[in-house]
Amino acid sequence: MPLLLFSQPFMDSPLIPLIIEWSLKIFFIFGGLMTALAYLTWFERRVLAYIQMRLGPNRVGPAGLLQPLADGIKFIFKEDIVPLDADKFLYTLAPIMSLVPALTCYVLLPFGDKFVMPGLNREIPLHITHVNVGVLAIFALTGMGVYGIVLAGYASNNKYSLMGGLRSSAQMVSYELAMVMSIIGVLLQAGSLDLVEICKHQAGWFGMQWHLFTYPPTGIIGFFIFLIAMVAETNRVPFDLPEAETELVAGFHTEYSSMKFAMFFIAEYANMVTASAMATILFLGGWMGPFVDQFPLLGPVYFTAKVGFFLFLYVWLRGTLPRYRYDQLMNLGWKFLLPLSLVNLVLTATIALFFM
Amino acid sequence: MQLLGYEAFFFYMFAFAALITGVFTVSSRNPVHCALFLISTLVSIAGMFLLLGAEFIAGSQILVYVGGVMVLFLFVVMLVKVREEEVGAFSRQTTLGVIVAGLVAIGILGSVYTAQRSGFFKVKSENALVESKADPYSPAGKISTNTETFGADLYTRGALPFEIASVILLVAIVGAVMLARDRKQEEKYP
Repeated sequence: MPLLLFSQPFMDSPLIPLIIEWSLKIFFIFGGLMTALAYLTWFERRVLAYIQMRLGPNRVGPAGLLQPLADGIKFIFKEDIVPLDADKFLYTLAPIMSLVPALTCYVLLPFGDKFVMPGLNREIPLHITHVNVGVLAIFALTGMGVYGIVLAGYASNNKYSLMGGLRSSAQMVSYELAMVMSIIGVLLQAGSLDLVEICKHQAGWFGMQWHLFTYPPTGIIGFFIFLIAMVAETNRVPFDLPEAETELVAGFHTEYSSMKFAMFFIAEYANMVTASAMATILFLGGWMGPFVDQFPLLGPVYFTAKVGFFLFLYVWLRGTLPRYRYDQLMNLGWKFLLPLSLVNLVLTATIALFFM
Repeated sequence: MQLLGYEAFFFYMFAFAALITGVFTVSSRNPVHCALFLISTLVSIAGMFLLLGAEFIAGSQILVYVGGVMVLFLFVVMLVKVREEEVGAFSRQTTLGVIVAGLVAIGILGSVYTAQRSGFFKVKSENALVESKADPYSPAGKISTNTETFGADLYTRGALPFEIASVILLVAIVGAVMLARDRKQEEKYP
């Protein structure tokens, strides 16, 4: 069977260029992504510093640009500590469980339409895989990521960590419902669960076809519910109760050190980028923008710019808002966002039925 | 239906993963590990749905059960004394359990065997995979190629079971709320 790989019919088949194309795309997207995530930490610290009238990290390299590299080296050389009475297997499994789903999401996200490679005369789609239930797959994967946090909280054998893990699971259960409900309106308009189809549905009319603006006011309401739920899902300020350094020390990752801690850190930032990309694709038209039909390579540029806006919003929120109390968080999720998203869904369906 | 190539490989992989983790779900001493094995079983089954070409069902399987098992996990951590359970013994009614499990196994095997004898699993024609889309009684194959077919089937042919399931769930929700009320709340909201 291994000989099949080197046999003549296989070498001549169209699979070889396809495999090369996939490998190159995976290499470029993940290479670029890991660098972007590293620089996202730098970006966050700098912007946060300016919001608080400080300077932030500016010593390592020009304007502190080598800071992420220094942080990475520091993480690698730290001692890896496992607490004495911890559940050793789960303690090691937890960072993996949170990082793997977070990174797997990126094979599903479309960054642009297909473009024709000049020398090769080959159409290359600007996404790694094309799944016909992309929205569902991404929500399933981000949901799996929460298990990493909960397991970390349980396995550390530390009261604060356990509190953090439990908070995270309760938060996920209460906010995921509102998040999924808020996007059903979008799915209703696009008529598809396919991320590429959803993007294409928002083309034209100078951005007026974006799901943010269609079916007013349901698009805007859905967008804000999604925005709040997305911040809560990624455990960021003002919903960062699982880590809450002032009450729970550092919550679920109190006991973690070295690369295991770094894996949680990368997973959190990767989830932020995924959530921003989902908001972009579902409400802001994905890669759509002026002249994108003529020059398909502009697609990733627009996409990155829109995602960058949401990432800035995350940092902005962190610099501006205080943390919610726990009961306030639950009230907001169950008594405000969920009913509002249900009303929004009915409203969208009514408009779709009677006015379109 | 014959499995070939990568389909056979992945089918056996998911099937054995589901069986092994299923056994561990009931035999593991630590309740938290049980919950984890349960979610592994469910993810393996989602993989098998994916092999059948039912992407929507696979996705919703993971999406629904991830949240469900998360709640189970919360119950385990909050209500069960985890470290003490590791010491305690299992239930003593093993004989009864073995008898019931054996009867269920015989029942399933017998029904599969008779169904096979009567030609229930035979592929009817060359185009059976496409034809079987709309037929809810068709054997394994493509369950539904896309979400639209699934939705149309669910709300036309499967409308009655769907509604019955929702009523049962509603009753369960009301029951849970009634059970969770304490005396103070009952006096306040009779």
